[in-house]
Amino acid sequence: MSSIVRLPGVLPESIPIPSFIVTACTFFWVHFHDLMVRLPLGNRMLNYIEKSSHDDPYRTIIEVSLILYGIYYYLSNPQKKKSLQGINRNLSKQEIDNLIDEWEPEGLVHRDAKDNAKQEWRLAKIPVVVDGGVDNYVSVTRNDAQERFDNVFNMSSYNFLQLSQTESVLEKARQTIKQYGVGACGPAGFYGNQDVHWNLEYDLAKFFGTEAAVLYGQDFTVAPSVLSAFTKRGDVIVADDQVSLSLQNALQLSRSTVYYFEHNNIESLDKLLTQLNAQEAKEKLPAIPRKFIVTEGIFQNIGDIAPLPELVKLKMKHKYRLFVDETLSLGVLGKTGRGLSEHFGMPRATSIDVTVGSLATAIGTSGGFTLGDAVMSNHQHIGSNAYCFSACLPAYAVSCASKILRIMDEDNSAVSTVQQLSKSMFNFFDGALREMRNYITVVSDDVSPVVHLELTPEFRSSRFHYTADQLFTYVSSSQKKRQTTIIFEPYEAEEQFLQAIVDELLMKHNILITRNIFVLKQETLPLVPSLKICCNANMNEQELLGACASIKEVILGFCSNK
Amino acid sequence: MTLDDGTHDATHVPLFPPEDISIESKRENEFGSLTSKSYLFQVKSCHNEPIPEPIIDTPPYYISLITYVNYLILIIFGHVHDFLGIHFQRSKHLDIVEKDGMAPWYSKFESFYVRRLKKRIDDCFSRPTTGVPGRFIQCIDRVSHGFNEYFTYPGTTNMCLNLSSYNYLGFAQSEGQCTDAAISAVEKYGLHSGGSRSQIGTTELHQEAERLIAKFVGKEDAMIFSMGYGTNANFFNAFLDSKCLIVSDELNHTSIRTGVRLSGATVRSFKHGDMEGLEKLIREQIVIGQPKTGRPWKKILICVEGLFSMEGTMCNLPELVELKKRYKCYLYVDEAHSIGAVGPKGRGVCDLFGVNPHDIDILMGTLTKSFGAAGGYIACDKWIIDKLRCDLTTPNYAESPAAPVLAQIISSLRTIIGELNPGEGQERLQRIAFNSRYFRLALQRLGFIVYGNADSPVIPMLLYCPSKMPAFSRIMLQRKIAVVVVAYPATPLIESRVRFCMSASLTKEDIDYLLRHVDEVGEMLNLKLNSGKSSWDGKVQRWDIEEVIRRTPEDCKDDKYFVC
Repeated sequence: MSSIVRLPGVLPESIPIPSFIVTACTFFWVHFHDLMVRLPLGNRMLNYIEKSSHDDPYRTIIEVSLILYGIYYYLSNPQKKKSLQGINRNLSKQEIDNLIDEWEPEGLVHRDAKDNAKQEWRLAKIPVVVDGGVDNYVSVTRNDAQERFDNVFNMSSYNFLQLSQTESVLEKARQTIKQYGVGACGPAGFYGNQDVHWNLEYDLAKFFGTEAAVLYGQDFTVAPSVLSAFTKRGDVIVADDQVSLSLQNALQLSRSTVYYFEHNNIESLDKLLTQLNAQEAKEKLPAIPRKFIVTEGIFQNIGDIAPLPELVKLKMKHKYRLFVDETLSLGVLGKTGRGLSEHFGMPRATSIDVTVGSLATAIGTSGGFTLGDAVMSNHQHIGSNAYCFSACLPAYAVSCASKILRIMDEDNSAVSTVQQLSKSMFNFFDGALREMRNYITVVSDDVSPVVHLELTPEFRSSRFHYTADQLFTYVSSSQKKRQTTIIFEPYEAEEQFLQAIVDELLMKHNILITRNIFVLKQETLPLVPSLKICCNANMNEQELLGACASIKEVILGFCSNK
Repeated sequence: MTLDDGTHDATHVPLFPPEDISIESKRENEFGSLTSKSYLFQVKSCHNEPIPEPIIDTPPYYISLITYVNYLILIIFGHVHDFLGIHFQRSKHLDIVEKDGMAPWYSKFESFYVRRLKKRIDDCFSRPTTGVPGRFIQCIDRVSHGFNEYFTYPGTTNMCLNLSSYNYLGFAQSEGQCTDAAISAVEKYGLHSGGSRSQIGTTELHQEAERLIAKFVGKEDAMIFSMGYGTNANFFNAFLDSKCLIVSDELNHTSIRTGVRLSGATVRSFKHGDMEGLEKLIREQIVIGQPKTGRPWKKILICVEGLFSMEGTMCNLPELVELKKRYKCYLYVDEAHSIGAVGPKGRGVCDLFGVNPHDIDILMGTLTKSFGAAGGYIACDKWIIDKLRCDLTTPNYAESPAAPVLAQIISSLRTIIGELNPGEGQERLQRIAFNSRYFRLALQRLGFIVYGNADSPVIPMLLYCPSKMPAFSRIMLQRKIAVVVVAYPATPLIESRVRFCMSASLTKEDIDYLLRHVDEVGEMLNLKLNSGKSSWDGKVQRWDIEEVIRRTPEDCKDDKYFVC
């Protein structure tokens, strides 16, 4: 008993504690003491415990409860909370079986023939090019080859420069296939990157004036993969509110806080950025978050361009990075086709931090790429999923892209032809507005090789009885309710109306244009239907303007006809 | 600023001209001709029998311990390196520090693994190659500087035996009917597809390829895409939302995970291949319903891969179909690696297990691997495909596949089904089956730990210690064999491995050459750790190499020697 008497103040007398707890603790302490004395360094630990509990008994209590909680946490199974025992419903096996039997799932996809018919009319309208490639004059069939049209003037291809049609490029393709076969049969990390891939990356970087470039297998997947490789929770993205679906997906996958600014409105952006930086300063974060401004070169849904000089000023002022999707603008804008930065006479390396481009539009083969500094590009090799976990592009597509860059480098005639044609096409429709003003607006810029024609809001509401806002409200509320199928009848009517114009042009005038094709269900930003008319370097001005005249005539005919 | 200004940077990969060799040797380098009819094996269908749980062999404890210590040392050294580097060599660490009020592209912590662990063995990854990735692959020599800081290229190549490419049926060729088809497609259709599928990017070739694929996999209709990863990454958002549940194998590919994240659906994963766990999970989830609200799930989709690319294991398809029917779930099978390479007729896991393809709701696959092309496909019932064509983003926004690729797909598919060069497709299938079985059994007999099913052409051999990865890869490269080593995060932390991808283009003699070297190197690096747990007689296997080569070609045709 003497040892107990000599006990230091394990439980100080200053705190009134029931005697049985004191006895229990004392009992525990004696054995613990005995054990510790025998262990190496045990005496020191004992000293520490004695001292701390003597000086600050409350601290000891907290420490002990922390240890107990740690043990409890370690033993508890987090998965269990999500499982059946976790929610404690006490169901018998019979009841569970009944519940399982009762459960009726929805169809894999929406299975209402009537609803589906309201959307699937689009499938019969998809043109199928037959007896040859996608050239300026094509033969097309539609609706399971029930309709056929020959010698159709094709105004819906994105191959703006048409350089992939030149004989030297085709010869390069044949040679490469004879040397490399078709597929690369492996991802870049495992022997899939061939000498031609590395060389195209050097060529792209050199041509567009950045430190490095990274190749991807498909243009649409590049932005979502790249942006999410550099962002995490807590980072800030400020995006234009008219960006394409590829960028919308990128924003969703980024995990960051996303803010939108009004389309191309610099004042609203400036205000937003000032506000965000003030907010950040208040929060006193341990590290600066990564901050991006996200926009497009030529907007895919509208056809206008981003005001780069102002954006660069703002990004410098507010310490943001600029991420630009130039899927449609590389090869088209700027004197030599070097894109948005050349158009505004700025060096790409210092003005745009990440550029996303496509090899499948103006450059005319297949695949996508990013441009930027070496550190950023290197990180994509391990951080960007679509790069690491996907096979490399076929060698022929890559070597032909290199060849096409060389042609563009030596001779910018294709680029200037496209620019000239874009301008005259724009001027034609702009001039035609005198007659069409009541029905149509031209939303694209004069530098865009794709002209976007939209119905005017007044005409839309008088003819189809809805406004863009109504459509957007309807779509976002349906998305919030997680509706599997989103059908907005007036919108479908307008789509069919525009398709009727496309059909008439195809049947009567042998001209193929297209609606702006998008999936309403997936779009999270406001959008209205439009018609797209594309030009390319192999057209001549006369045939282009002739076709434009027919388009105008048909549109006028349809719109004025009640 | 011109592209060809005559400057040749030594740190740039040089471009190599076509090799100057005869057509015969070129053909032989891409696809070795069969040396004996006895080196063929016809796979038989399992007739809907579920497969037993694979038995996983485990290494002795000291190996696991060494592996952990190995990582510990690497991590401690890495942190010391970081600390010293940031304080004394700031100029070399600008990528991880804040500059002019801007955050770095990636933080020190996020990039630690890449900078301090992976970088040490960067010379084993992304080796540049040239020419056809067929039976042999030409690796471009490079010299590492400053511990893989950068490489220089002396301009020479090293012809290696190719165990790295996904060239299962050997269609990576620049000779023969597929190449001819691709070249004539260049003539007739050109290189460019014009835009998205719905806009102008559909040609008769697309429709033909889709019809062929649908017929090949046994579904009503199919859709093709220009990128395999993109097929999955932009698939699930067309028909799933946050009120739907995805039950996913824990080892599913990143593309599936990305696609699922984009769809917003809730995900619960089950242990790889654990069918009991899966059933328990489904039962629970049907009863519990959606989190918080407790409402029933709109639909439940079971998501698995046919052949798992890092494990070499196959999904237990008969069991999955059974579960799916019992609980009214939908089943999605990603056949990225199995289509073409697996089954009596090469038609993937359904073919191998004798399961009716109609019992699987969605069959997905890639065209990059067995067919030597690029892209992916989705095959379903027609009414589903019609709906998906409207709702999927890829056909409406992304580029469509180009003509030469489609020609390669069509011609290789027609070769497999025997429409082109009758007999050739069958021979390719029998060769990959023999090669895979022979090499797998031989490795087991030599004493290595190998994962996966008997008929899987992916053969992962376990290395465990991270330091043995570069050692193995470098020594094999010296011996003119190109292999792929993989580690965390693609595998569990301690199960670093080398992945051999078998190909029909290899001859039996190539595999003997490979075996002799793997045997020697395995001895050198102490890789023969087989405990006998997964061998047919339950005994520790340490056969002599000559004995293995003599007896295995016949034995590997007998199922009794394969436990899983």
